[in-house]
Amino acid sequence: MKQQNMLAMILAGGRGTRLEALTKKVAKPAVFFGGKYRIIDFPLSNCANSGIDVVGVLTQYESILLNSYVAGGNHWGLNTKDGGVFVLPPREKDDTEFGVYRGTADAITQNIDFIDGYNPDYVLILSGDHIYKMDYAKMLKHHQENDADCTIAVLPVPMEEASRFGIMNTDESDRIMEFEEKPKQPKSNLASMGIYIFNWKLLRKMLIEDDKKENSHHDFGKDIIPTLLADHKRLFAWRFEGYWKDVGTIDSLWEANMDLIYKSSELDLHDPQWKIYTEDKNVSPHCVGEDGEVKNSFINQGCFIDGKVEGSVLFTHVNIGKKAVVKDSVVFPNVQIGEGAVLNRVMVAEGVKIAPNAVVGDPNSEKIELIAKNVR
Amino acid sequence: MCNALGIINFPGSNVQIRGMEEYRPIGAFSFLGRFRLIDFPISSMTNSGIEDIHVHLKNRPRSIISHIGTGRHYNINSKRGGISILYGENKPESEFYNTDIASFKANFRQIDKCTKEYVVIAPSNMVFSIDFDEVLKEHIASGADVTIVYKSVDDAKSRFIDCDTVTLNKQKGILAIEKNRGNAKNKNISMEIYVLSKKLFMTLVDDALKISSLYWFRDIINEKCDELDIRGFQYKGFLAAITDLTSYYEANMELINHEVANELFNDEWPVYTRTSDSAPTRYYEEAEIKRSVISNGCDIAGHVENTVVGRGCVIGKDAVVTNAVLLPGCVIGEGVHVDNCVVDKEARIVTVKNVKGICGSPAYVRKGDKI
Repeated sequence: MKQQNMLAMILAGGRGTRLEALTKKVAKPAVFFGGKYRIIDFPLSNCANSGIDVVGVLTQYESILLNSYVAGGNHWGLNTKDGGVFVLPPREKDDTEFGVYRGTADAITQNIDFIDGYNPDYVLILSGDHIYKMDYAKMLKHHQENDADCTIAVLPVPMEEASRFGIMNTDESDRIMEFEEKPKQPKSNLASMGIYIFNWKLLRKMLIEDDKKENSHHDFGKDIIPTLLADHKRLFAWRFEGYWKDVGTIDSLWEANMDLIYKSSELDLHDPQWKIYTEDKNVSPHCVGEDGEVKNSFINQGCFIDGKVEGSVLFTHVNIGKKAVVKDSVVFPNVQIGEGAVLNRVMVAEGVKIAPNAVVGDPNSEKIELIAKNVR
Repeated sequence: MCNALGIINFPGSNVQIRGMEEYRPIGAFSFLGRFRLIDFPISSMTNSGIEDIHVHLKNRPRSIISHIGTGRHYNINSKRGGISILYGENKPESEFYNTDIASFKANFRQIDKCTKEYVVIAPSNMVFSIDFDEVLKEHIASGADVTIVYKSVDDAKSRFIDCDTVTLNKQKGILAIEKNRGNAKNKNISMEIYVLSKKLFMTLVDDALKISSLYWFRDIINEKCDELDIRGFQYKGFLAAITDLTSYYEANMELINHEVANELFNDEWPVYTRTSDSAPTRYYEEAEIKRSVISNGCDIAGHVENTVVGRGCVIGKDAVVTNAVLLPGCVIGEGVHVDNCVVDKEARIVTVKNVKGICGSPAYVRKGDKI
């Protein structure tokens, strides 16, 4: 498919500190989700499904795994002749000292040469932190119809929660008049999703100017968007309807996994029209043994279940011994759960071993416990 | 790297799978939920370092072509080597002429062009996991002209019927190849894996044509047992030969047992297949599962026991599926009972409430049927 002259840049450098031990060795976009995926599969699959064929992935914090995971882009079918996924970590340059990306906008500024190589009309800026399915082609159409300079995807949130978000105040045509970061008295409930389409020529100019400003944070939300508004550029909101989740904490990551079991119609991963693509492991289908029991669960290939699983999400190669009970939990790949062990409301990190008869987690606890080390 | 050209062969007339074969060649049969039979020989070949693979087909190539594609998922470096599908399109006057020898001869130039010194021939209707490089090394070390891989079994009275068997002398020299007529318990089943030099291979193909237009490769090997030094290589892993609907069904059933499956599937020696990018399987409140192998992309609300479920199947509430093999995309409606069945791809059993095979032989539900 010939590309529609929009290139995507995914900001994937975030650490995600609130995900505790899960992001000790990997950046947040590489964290597991939904039995077989990593968070970044969602924006990448959305790109592939929206007909975008060149994607830059901006990495910074712990990028080794992310590099090897996305390079090539073949998991998402983005390895076409003219397209591809390109990993863009900070680099040393002739005229500047080697440094890190100073902000979200700076990450793009430092890769102007990469984008220029494709000479796109539009650039789509995405974050690698969210779970959602979105057709960016529709958003681009909206952008073109409004003859906009910049279009920002927004999510209508309940008014009482609006003060937690960056809020767009718009006129009746959804043109953005004002942007307020976490307002105490919100005037609107349209929260920015951190998804922007810019006309590349304008953005390029803005980025070069911003780069020279000394007191700038080099951030889209803090600097670029306010400057565009001050310059009376045409900024429009594009309303998104559907499932969207920021999985920034252990609790919210657990909750989003549970949504696949209990709210499966909201984020339907079985939809053949909009598949989420991911790395394929060479494993056989999962197997339920003589004493296995499975209810209300979401289970990936490669598992062997001889115990009881209820209300849980299991990733590849999870082994559950006889008489073990796994309830309301999320279990990451290659976890061994010994015979008779009992797990309740926990998230078990990759490769952890839980000894036979161990009791982990508490059915009555409010918080979800992260199990990142072997349990004896 | 392995100095051999891999050739995947099609089975002879001893193999007949009622129903399923009308839609695709045996290599394209869905197996154990997510695989196709041809994944097993190809994966063993690429794991063994074989870089060039020829897949010979005699009819209905579509499903194999789309499944194999560029062969990328089999870990084939398409620049160093590659996988080609050789489909003769020869329309012989009679099906009897449609032999593997005819297909080899039709593709002689392709075979000749390959720079590898040896050939490894493997069938597309058997399930196994083997290191071909080890077989090749032993073949070279032994100085034999041809090496045939076999497995010694003790259930040849009821299984592997009509498969080739080999009679060995003490030095593992092969004396003759015969059909298994089920007359003895202990037999050495030929896995129809042949290792020999490319030069000899091409000579044998020509020799076969000189003798009879109806000869298969096994016939010429059998004929040459006295003349050539033909030896056996004993394989000890999991083996299933798919020769009819019952053996197809039984091979699936056998692998539900996790310990048996562990003989075939090894993380160090993976079985590759084309992914369909389906999401994990969703189980509902009412689901009840026992002794089953379940692929991704399914929606399960019913009772499933002793069953292999293919990708993207839907099993409704109060449905009871036992002792069955469901191929990908089947729908078993609410309250439907299915027992002792092979349900072909995308069949929907919704209104008929009871589908049962008779003892000993499974019932077959055709591809895309609505019942």
